[in-house]
Amino acid sequence: MAIGDPRTEPVDASEIARRAQLDAAESFGESERRFGTEEMILNVGPQHPATHGVFRLLATIDGEKLLDAEPIIGYMHRGYEKLVEQRDYRQITNLVSRMDWLSGINNELPLALALEKLMEIEVPPRATYLRVAMAEMNRILNHLMFMASFGAELGAITPTFYAFREREDIQLALEMATGGRMHFGFFRPGGLKEDVPRGFFDQALKGVRQVIERLPDYEDLLTGNEIFKQRTLNVGVLDKEVAYSYGVSGPIARGSDISFDVRKDEPYLSYEDFDFEVCSAPNGDCFDRFWVLVHEVVESAKIVEQAIEGMPPGPILGKVPRVVQAPKGEVYVRTENPLGELGMYLISNGDRTPYRLKIRTPSYNNVSVLSHVLHGTYVSDMIAILGSFFFVLGDIDR
Amino acid sequence: MPRVTPEDALGRVQNALGSLAQDVKLNFDAVDLSCSRENIVEVLTKLRDTDDLSCRFFSFLSGVDRTEFETGEGDDAATGELEVLIHVYSPDNVISVTVHVPVPLDDPNCPTVTDVYAGAIWHERETWEMFGIAFKGHPNLVHLYLPEDFEGTPLRKSFRLPSRMTKSWPGAKDPEEAAAGGGR
Repeated sequence: MAIGDPRTEPVDASEIARRAQLDAAESFGESERRFGTEEMILNVGPQHPATHGVFRLLATIDGEKLLDAEPIIGYMHRGYEKLVEQRDYRQITNLVSRMDWLSGINNELPLALALEKLMEIEVPPRATYLRVAMAEMNRILNHLMFMASFGAELGAITPTFYAFREREDIQLALEMATGGRMHFGFFRPGGLKEDVPRGFFDQALKGVRQVIERLPDYEDLLTGNEIFKQRTLNVGVLDKEVAYSYGVSGPIARGSDISFDVRKDEPYLSYEDFDFEVCSAPNGDCFDRFWVLVHEVVESAKIVEQAIEGMPPGPILGKVPRVVQAPKGEVYVRTENPLGELGMYLISNGDRTPYRLKIRTPSYNNVSVLSHVLHGTYVSDMIAILGSFFFVLGDIDR
Repeated sequence: MPRVTPEDALGRVQNALGSLAQDVKLNFDAVDLSCSRENIVEVLTKLRDTDDLSCRFFSFLSGVDRTEFETGEGDDAATGELEVLIHVYSPDNVISVTVHVPVPLDDPNCPTVTDVYAGAIWHERETWEMFGIAFKGHPNLVHLYLPEDFEGTPLRKSFRLPSRMTKSWPGAKDPEEAAAGGGR
């Protein structure tokens, strides 16, 4: 590099050192041209084990850094919102059960509640308590599944086996009552399909107590594990205000210091009868999201125990007309699904089918914030962040 | 958590919005209002930023095709057209607000609300592809669920399911009903 003319410019020691530095910089620049980085598009999915379904992430990376990440969805779009406009309300119960396949019974709840509001059906207390117990059992099942999968995504396979062992007893209880393991189809407008069989309560309590007893194992394996902490602490931080503006809810929002829980804020069913805490954690990183998930299992177990202990006798179905036909009107019902706020905006024209049923699913809003969170993170953290958003593809694509 | 009675919530919304919103009422204890599409950004900004409301939580944005909605007596002229439906929520005050924005069928567009609620970005893309309502100013209005070359607006009532056009409705109890629902 020529810095002025060497014959006219005074040359001293510092100047020579400076020129040497500049020369070195230049040759470094050349080597950077030879070994430099450039932007690259990385396709994660649509078939990737960490996505629990067909979900694609279009990541623009520069070296190890994610400059941009765009979730691409719709591979499993089934058009529920169109289908429900052609179906009888009783059939819709079974459709919505399949949205979030890890929490079937919770999906059926807002539909039943919306119809009960419009049709002014009174639900007997036993049905309400059974609904609470079953919804919370389903929540435990869902949370255990994500505790399993999040461990597996970070390279720890043991929690998967543990969680599936624990799930089995609760699964069995739900199977006894409904006959289904994933898609229950058990809630009706007005109450339940039928009463639970003998032995259901014992089985449910056994399953729930077992989970609580074994939960410290998960703390040892995961939240107390140094490798787990290093992979998750301060990784993928979701800011509180961002979470609000994207409508992020559920354990993911509560991991960002938002103590928003529909069960407490707008109690539906009989949640005001039960004593439970809303878990929230302050940092908004992957660790906190997972921490909330683990601690919610304890709270859900408390609710199941209280509901079963205080289970009132009586009928399980209110006075429901033979034909389920909602009067003309509109209602929005929100419930706390295991993964966040599940809302249904039902517009009825007085028909046997809904005129329009807008289904607001939790995973949809939760995943839409991903590109914001992933921006500027590293490829090695990407899977941890994806996993910590606990989403179900069927719930996003509907 | 401070609990606001539905009537109090209604009063607060009326105070904050004034003449910007029409038809402010309670519907199953949630505040329900409609506003013109020109005012939508201002209405949402006020709902979000007014201190005693602070509806910071964006719940959803979607559309409704009201062209086949039977209008009874007393229904306003807004029915019979398209509608943008927005739901926001205040976690601090426990106030739910539903906003209806009528959109004429022959000029289906609406200003984007992504500047107020960043989360509306996917919801607007979905509403655009499903109802054909274009959101002016949206940063990236492309298909979300449907393939890029998909034509039509599936959630409009004019979009019939092909299988229902060729085969009668299998879910009905008796044949006449099946035939009547055949086109759906």
